[in-house]
Amino acid sequence: MIRKSLFLLPILLIALLSSCGTKTEHPNRVVIGIPSDVNTFNPLFASSVDEGQVTELLYLSLADFRWNENLGELEAHPMLANSWKWAEDSSSITFYLRDDVMWSDSIPLTTEDVVFSLDVYSDPAVSSRLYGFFEDFYTDEENHIDVKKSFIVQSDYELQINFKPGSTPKLIDVVHPVIPKHIFDKYDRKDIETADANFNPVTNSPFVLKKWDRNQTITLGVNENSFLYNPENINELIFKIIPDYTSRLTQLKKGEIDLMELIATEDIEEVKNSGIVELMTIEGREYDYVAWNNIDPNVYKDGGGITPHKLFGKKEVRIALTHAINRKEILEEYLYNYGELAATPISPIFKTYINSDIEQYNYDPEKARKILAKEGWRDSNNNGVIDKNGIEFEFTLNIPGGNPLRSYASTIVKNNLNAVGISIKVETLEMGTLIDKLNSKSMDAWMAAWYIPIPIELKVFWYSDLQYSPLNFASYQNKKADKIMDELTKNSTMDKKKELYFKFQEILHEDEPITFMYWKSNIVGVNETLRNTGIGPFGAITHCWEWSVEN
Amino acid sequence: MKFQPKIWHLLLFFWITIIIFRFDLLIELVVLWARYFLLFISDFKSAMQLLDFSLIDAILSVKLFIIIPTILFLFRKNNLWLKSSLNFSSLTLVLLLLAFIFAPIITNENPEFQKDLKMTKLLAPLSSVKVLHLNKKENAQKSSLEKFINYKNKIIKPSYNEDIIFVNNVEVKSDHIIYSQKNLQKEINISDVQIKNGIPFVTSKIFILGTDEFGRDIFTRLIYGARISLLVGIGAVVVSLFMGLSFGFIAGFKGGFIDTIFSRLTDLFLAFPIIYFIVLILALFGNSLLSVIIVLGLSGWMGLFKIVKSEVLAEKNKDYILTAGMLGQTNRKILTKEILPVIFVPIVVNIVFQFSNVILAESALSYLGLGTGNSYPSWGAMIESGQRYIMKAWWMISFPGLILIATLFSANDFGKRLNETINPGIQK
Amino acid sequence: MNKEFLKALLKRIISSLITLFLLISLLFILIRLSPGDPTQKFLSAEFSPELIKKVTADFKLDQPLYEQYINFVVNIFKGDLGISYNYRMPVLSVVWQFLSFTLLFASLSFLIQIIISFYLSIKSIRKKGTAFDKVVSKLSLIVYATPAFVLGVFLIYLFSVQLNLFPSSGSKSLDFDSFSIAGKIGDYFWHLTLPIITLSSAGIAMFYKYLRDNLDETYQQPFILNLRASGYDEKVILKKHVLPNAIRPLISVAGIELGILLGGALITEIIFGLPGMGRLMLNSIFERDYPLVIGCALTAGLIIIISNFIADLIKMKLDKRMIKGLMN
Repeated sequence: MIRKSLFLLPILLIALLSSCGTKTEHPNRVVIGIPSDVNTFNPLFASSVDEGQVTELLYLSLADFRWNENLGELEAHPMLANSWKWAEDSSSITFYLRDDVMWSDSIPLTTEDVVFSLDVYSDPAVSSRLYGFFEDFYTDEENHIDVKKSFIVQSDYELQINFKPGSTPKLIDVVHPVIPKHIFDKYDRKDIETADANFNPVTNSPFVLKKWDRNQTITLGVNENSFLYNPENINELIFKIIPDYTSRLTQLKKGEIDLMELIATEDIEEVKNSGIVELMTIEGREYDYVAWNNIDPNVYKDGGGITPHKLFGKKEVRIALTHAINRKEILEEYLYNYGELAATPISPIFKTYINSDIEQYNYDPEKARKILAKEGWRDSNNNGVIDKNGIEFEFTLNIPGGNPLRSYASTIVKNNLNAVGISIKVETLEMGTLIDKLNSKSMDAWMAAWYIPIPIELKVFWYSDLQYSPLNFASYQNKKADKIMDELTKNSTMDKKKELYFKFQEILHEDEPITFMYWKSNIVGVNETLRNTGIGPFGAITHCWEWSVEN
Repeated sequence: MKFQPKIWHLLLFFWITIIIFRFDLLIELVVLWARYFLLFISDFKSAMQLLDFSLIDAILSVKLFIIIPTILFLFRKNNLWLKSSLNFSSLTLVLLLLAFIFAPIITNENPEFQKDLKMTKLLAPLSSVKVLHLNKKENAQKSSLEKFINYKNKIIKPSYNEDIIFVNNVEVKSDHIIYSQKNLQKEINISDVQIKNGIPFVTSKIFILGTDEFGRDIFTRLIYGARISLLVGIGAVVVSLFMGLSFGFIAGFKGGFIDTIFSRLTDLFLAFPIIYFIVLILALFGNSLLSVIIVLGLSGWMGLFKIVKSEVLAEKNKDYILTAGMLGQTNRKILTKEILPVIFVPIVVNIVFQFSNVILAESALSYLGLGTGNSYPSWGAMIESGQRYIMKAWWMISFPGLILIATLFSANDFGKRLNETINPGIQK
Repeated sequence: MNKEFLKALLKRIISSLITLFLLISLLFILIRLSPGDPTQKFLSAEFSPELIKKVTADFKLDQPLYEQYINFVVNIFKGDLGISYNYRMPVLSVVWQFLSFTLLFASLSFLIQIIISFYLSIKSIRKKGTAFDKVVSKLSLIVYATPAFVLGVFLIYLFSVQLNLFPSSGSKSLDFDSFSIAGKIGDYFWHLTLPIITLSSAGIAMFYKYLRDNLDETYQQPFILNLRASGYDEKVILKKHVLPNAIRPLISVAGIELGILLGGALITEIIFGLPGMGRLMLNSIFERDYPLVIGCALTAGLIIIISNFIADLIKMKLDKRMIKGLMN
């Protein structure tokens, strides 16, 4: 008997609760669904994309960078600084701060905080995420900024920063989220990492952290004293952590969350049918590729240095492989054309620098076979696999697990290559194992993606001297490209840069070190009641204090 | 007397059905066998070079298929197993076994075959697509070797096919043909198309259980997926058996400290979330078929260990063992002659349950993305990719899900019945 | 008898602890030998290579393996499990946060499993051979054979997507804090209904089968016939004689099942997005958060030892009572 009534109780409660907690009680609240929780609110340590987005909502910088879509360029606007002035020779810059910015504990923000921030960012004892990035500053042997030489504090709101002679400083290298000196000064530098202040942040933005339910929700409220505060806009921002993609999608369609990124292309119809969700896309931040190890892994492993890979060493072979792969089919059939074919690592969003004269290597298995045959690859022993000098054209293609697009593409790649007489085995690797093998350059071929930085970075991906290109996993070698990359690190006019970028794209296209597949769109679902979301290449969750809800 | 279907009825039914539906394929396979044999005699070196898994698979399955009626005839009087009556679990298990052995005959497709995604992906069960046949690019058939290879590629299907196009409609014009694929129209020269009786040769292909997101036939993938599940199941069980038996004997015989260590290890392994060790080891060795088998085998030896150890301990000090020892029998002899017969029965029961656990674990691992990789179709992987399409293509997850449940149920049921037959204490 | 039993129990616990220590050491070595390391997330254009070098030195990962191991052992005995690389918090704090949820979730599931399987098996045995018995038996086999992920996905699809009765993820609503106590409890139940069904189904099926078979066997014993002939009421026979007998072997199984549950019902947590130990451990392995992996393994192992210990104690108490009962 008791047992029977136990069953009834939850049902009663469910009936009670079904009517609670609806949108009407919180008209200016926005809920964003994210796949994983953050581990810190301190911009010093934010390492994942999610963490970066949340911390930059809490800690503003001296300048605010927005994306100019027409030019395809970053533009700096005033934020914590009203203005700034470069010296004639770019050896120093002076910032004029706002005088009305308060930390959320009502202490005014001054140039002391800016100096402290840069000091801590470069301090080896702290190991912040920006450690090692301050080559333009006066630093000691441990890459720590020399505070005395670098900063001249003219007043509470005027700061001059001096750079190392011969360096080429850019605004974006200097402007980082400002952290409160009066809070973090109390700690020993090496203890900052585990400081409690990381989990109860004192912020300088229009948002404050109201509540943090680990692995459940992050609730941000507004700070009415902030200079960016607008009573018409949202007053509560909640990040709801939903690791399972399908759950996230369901909640988006039901209106339980208002925003979600990275929607899969096959779910677009469903989302549109919900009637309450609008779809927006963020283009050109990520491209997929099939990498061919340009060098022989065995020789490299034994310390023998750089020798061409016996299968992929020649660029003609790599171009043939690109011709053999039906990239368009994947783009059409899986991505439903949300994206575009890629030819070089320069994203089409950089409108000024993208070389549109570059012609794609289209899907043409006949051509692929001809090129391979010309290079000496024929099926001499009639086993269905082409060979040359006794070596069969067979290899293993590694892909990271858990990515449906990559699994899909790898199947098509496999079948496409089989059709031109290449034997290929696809192996899924766990991320850690894959990264390990990437570093040791021991794989023959793999499929992965690059999330490209803004502004454009090339050296770290394509430089021949592997010491300077830790991300050049395919070990691409080309002296001409190196020269261009070196030139680009210097300050030059936009026309000169355009010339250099154009040339770089030509060289890379000729060499085809990897098969560039396609630029993918990040499909963002936004509840139709949200206004002014400003979704662009920087992300979907940037200037949230400008959002408003229309009822 | 009510007709009670028995296992040999099932085998006979299977045999007759296949002959009816796959007669031409069977003939082709026999011809392939014969031609290979000829090649083998005339050109030994090339024959050996050509020998790969798919060839062995095809020839072996046709050989075994022919033998079936002979087996049925020879053993019809004596074999208990063939005569036992059919119920749901034995039906499922026997069908699975047949799928395992005769996969190339049951389905003439390559499980990885996909073409013209636009036309073939996410099709519902029993959908069909029109197939336009193209003229094969004939290279001059020179030696018997090349003839054989051409023939082989015709029979043992690869994962791609350049001689067909999936179409909606075909229109004949004066010197070319227009075919349509969904909303796209394309042209092709008449000379490239196979003509039969004056019109383009168009057949129809039916997908019995529908297709997945790559346009691959789900029925074929289920059949070949059975191979993987069974392989992993049997492989892991063999590993567990080997470990459980050896550890059990050692612990039982030597006793003392070693026994304690093993026993504690067993306890911890039994309850400790094995999945973490599994994830770790799969990260170390990469997830391939072999590593999954080894890892699952490593996680299942505990039950066997306990059974063997307790028996060994119980019997160790009995008179007949001591006598055997005194008579100069080696430990191994004692093992096989005295201990094994006693523990045989509980081991078999344990193995059957182990088998079902392993199949469950393998599909769970595939679901988490740590399975046998995507070179082979696996039910767990099919379920994992199917869940993303659950609204649009319910068949992708339903069929492998149902078959998985049926398999696990049958294995468990089989074990239960076995247990009951052997332990008469439990009355039904 | 009591003392001997306790001594044996104690011996078992100590040897269990030693084995746990060996296991943890093995884990320590394995994870450091496996490919990938905690700095892999810094491999991108956004981070300087100097940072990777610095972090490696900070975590002492560049030291030889045996030095790292000795440090580790010394710290273990000091009770210091270290700081999690990812969470930047002491490992124990991180583990406790997720453990509290898993403890609640697992205990709830365990309770429900016991209650429902008890109810079903007793009813089954009373109505032995009827439709009820047959149907429930067959059904339990099917449920047992259904993998958790199939069941979970199906439940979400049916109840959350189509019928919109239950939430598809999370353990609390957004406005949780504004609820009353009753509201809070109700909210928890609402969120945990589908996960508990998914997690408990296989366990219910298993317990049901064990219990029913045990009860069956016990009922076949001659002494039952005796009792019935002596005129005892069915209910009394059930309560005082059959049940205690049948429960004993169940206790060990229950102890193991509790351990498994507490280890974190991984797949259920993943499907429903619950903040439990299972996900914590899995993520820490993927992110190579070494101190956290060890911390989780240690916690899980200790819990299993404790739950087995409790199971043994209960068994011992039952033994005593049974012997007393028989003697009367």
